[in-house]
Amino acid sequence: MKILSKSGNELLLLAMKDDSAVKGDYMLIEDRGKSMVVQVYDEEYLSSQSLIEDIVKEEVVNASSAENLHDPLNIGSLSRLVRDARIFKAKIRAAVTDGRLTSDVTWLPSRVESKVRKLAMKELDGLLGRTGVYPIPLGRAGDEDFEIFAEDLDGKLTIITGKKESGKSHLSKLLVKTLVQHGAFVVVFDLNNEYGGLRWNRDGTPSPVHDRVTVLEPGKALQFSLDYCGKAAVAGMLKNALDMPTASMREFFRIWDWLENKRTLNIEAIGNAVNTWNINELVRDALVSRYHVIQSSRLFADAGGFKFEEAMKGHGAAMIINMGEVSGTVRRMTVELVISKIVDLLERKAIPPIFLVAEEAHLYIRETYWEDIVTRMRHFGVYTTFVTNQPDAISDGIYRQVDNIFLFNFTNDSDLDKISRVSLVDSDTVRSIVRTLPQRQCLAIGRAVCELPVVVKIAPAQVLALGETRKFFKK
Amino acid sequence: MATQLNPPASISLGDFGILESVSKCLAPKLEELRGKKIMFSSDDKSLVPVDGWGTKCQSCATVTTIRPIRENTMVAAIDSSSIKLAETEEGGLYAIKCGVAMAYDGAALMHFKIGPMLFYLSESTIYDSELDDRLARLVIADGDVARRLIRVRAERAIQFELAGHLRNSIILVDGSLRASVFEDRERSIGKIAENCVLYRNHLAGISKHTKLKVLERAATPLVNVPGPAYLEVDIIIKSLVKGTVGNNLMARLGSNTPVLRIDVVGDTDRALGRLLGNDPIAHGYPETLRLAHHISTFTSTEVTCLRCHVLNSYGVTELAADDIRRTLLGSIMV
Repeated sequence: MKILSKSGNELLLLAMKDDSAVKGDYMLIEDRGKSMVVQVYDEEYLSSQSLIEDIVKEEVVNASSAENLHDPLNIGSLSRLVRDARIFKAKIRAAVTDGRLTSDVTWLPSRVESKVRKLAMKELDGLLGRTGVYPIPLGRAGDEDFEIFAEDLDGKLTIITGKKESGKSHLSKLLVKTLVQHGAFVVVFDLNNEYGGLRWNRDGTPSPVHDRVTVLEPGKALQFSLDYCGKAAVAGMLKNALDMPTASMREFFRIWDWLENKRTLNIEAIGNAVNTWNINELVRDALVSRYHVIQSSRLFADAGGFKFEEAMKGHGAAMIINMGEVSGTVRRMTVELVISKIVDLLERKAIPPIFLVAEEAHLYIRETYWEDIVTRMRHFGVYTTFVTNQPDAISDGIYRQVDNIFLFNFTNDSDLDKISRVSLVDSDTVRSIVRTLPQRQCLAIGRAVCELPVVVKIAPAQVLALGETRKFFKK
Repeated sequence: MATQLNPPASISLGDFGILESVSKCLAPKLEELRGKKIMFSSDDKSLVPVDGWGTKCQSCATVTTIRPIRENTMVAAIDSSSIKLAETEEGGLYAIKCGVAMAYDGAALMHFKIGPMLFYLSESTIYDSELDDRLARLVIADGDVARRLIRVRAERAIQFELAGHLRNSIILVDGSLRASVFEDRERSIGKIAENCVLYRNHLAGISKHTKLKVLERAATPLVNVPGPAYLEVDIIIKSLVKGTVGNNLMARLGSNTPVLRIDVVGDTDRALGRLLGNDPIAHGYPETLRLAHHISTFTSTEVTCLRCHVLNSYGVTELAADDIRRTLLGSIMV
């Protein structure tokens, strides 16, 4: 491979038939003791008008009559080599100085003298000094095994995005499983009731995290006592999930305080109080309607109920909140209660920091709330991973704070536009690589890969796949 | 102290008499241009007026129409091209490509691509050949002559073999059938014509363009004939050009197509009739000759590959080169 030209931070590399590289591969350009790391992001034919004319002419001639060649110098094979020559478009990522990567790329390698070779992932990791204690094996990058480290997700905001069935949930499950194996606590808002499969291997045997995965269905295994939730969490739920007006909220607080003082705070007592309380009839109507929604959601139990502290006593746990079969209102109520309670517990340092995985978050919570989680709650110890097939459903405010992005295939131009504008690497790389990613391959960008984008083929799932689309026509 | 010369205040061409001298170097005769039909020229193109010059027919030659003869016959067309690939201090390296295209029963049959092949012409290689001494010097001195030598030799070699191996066929040659100083005596156009006659082959040389203006005027009667036709121009050509072989014709091979000069060895009517019956004629030109032309031309990729081959195979050292015209004249690029 040889350098052909440079424009900005882009190098064009001339490759002959036997030179192999795929999009995402890293190349090391060595020239008189200096080295430069570049990443291939696109591949084209070496093309000139005359070459195209040659090819067209030959095809037309061969289509019109059978060809017999007498080529004593074997120039035809050389000619075929030229026609098969390719141009690799590569972005300059870093220079190597004293065995470490630096961004100081102020020199130009020689087109004649420089040697271009493929950079192995292990070699790149060595240059980056990318190590960690808690590895998360993701699959393969090129021909090598590839892993990130749980430390790079810890305290970070991560986005997993890609079009439908590109493999987002597959990666997300892999991350959840490995985080739990490393002793982390993960709460998953599961829209398709698919994360429950983490408890089982594909062959039906219990998975390594079988005992550490709890599936919680709102109104069934997921019920809270009013005492446990507290006034603030319930108020948040009424305001954000049930759109309770301020005047009604005020009356509700009075009722709550009165019942709390009487030590008779429970759902039934609230219902009775709402009906008998001396208030404006419109306020009563507002309270009654909300009361019925709360009652029908069965999210509150008078005694017992789910307690996060108890679920987080062991060494790592995943709390899967199955929201696939509950109504939108109950979904919003559940998320409000869960997040408020978790933040409350984190503020009191009653639980360790947690990882929160939110599938299609825009479907059950308003945008501003997520921004609040990302900016404020991160300091309490809520580390969010958004999984979505709609990159435009996540606001620019969130993208600006993102630490890691796992980009799966997108072919839609508007999605590519959005993601290339907000991602952490240049738009050429994103557009070219993401558009052609096969299923279950992603472009990992950000802290987890030390800011050098890597194309990763995600390892096949070991756990049971649930949540697949039900189909009418069975194969 | 040295005498200092001041430049003259102004210089006029009249002072030197240049204008008068140039205007009298040749009589311009522009008044004779008045009222003439005109066709502007382009250096690199062979242009002909679309509907002829429109002059009245002064020729008394008979126009003969050509009827296609549907008699299965092999048509083989030969063309070649040569380039100067490199120079050494002593000579030049040339490459040649030849194409042979064959048609049968009105359809293209197959084609042979021969080459590229390389020839190094230097003083030692040329003087070892049987070329005339003066011609050898010319070949060394002039690259265009050397290219022509290689083309003629290679084409004649192919024509000779085809003439000896085909039977009852038509051999088409690009250009006129004329003896060349570059021919090998054993494979001259005369010998090829003899072989053709011996093996009942027809040999036809088709020229896309003729430098003989008189032939264009002689071909005027063909403009009025709607279909394929020819007229004989033997007398004109044999009086102007030495060493031509066969019957000399101006012919049109299609309806409203350009008039071509065709030299034919053998029965003209039969040769042209069988040609029309066996070779697809597109735009008045045989498809086999067109194909032979296309497969014999060098592509830029081939030239690049040939250079690589020379560098890799013959232990040569490439010198940096400079375009002298560009260096000397290139300050104003237009």
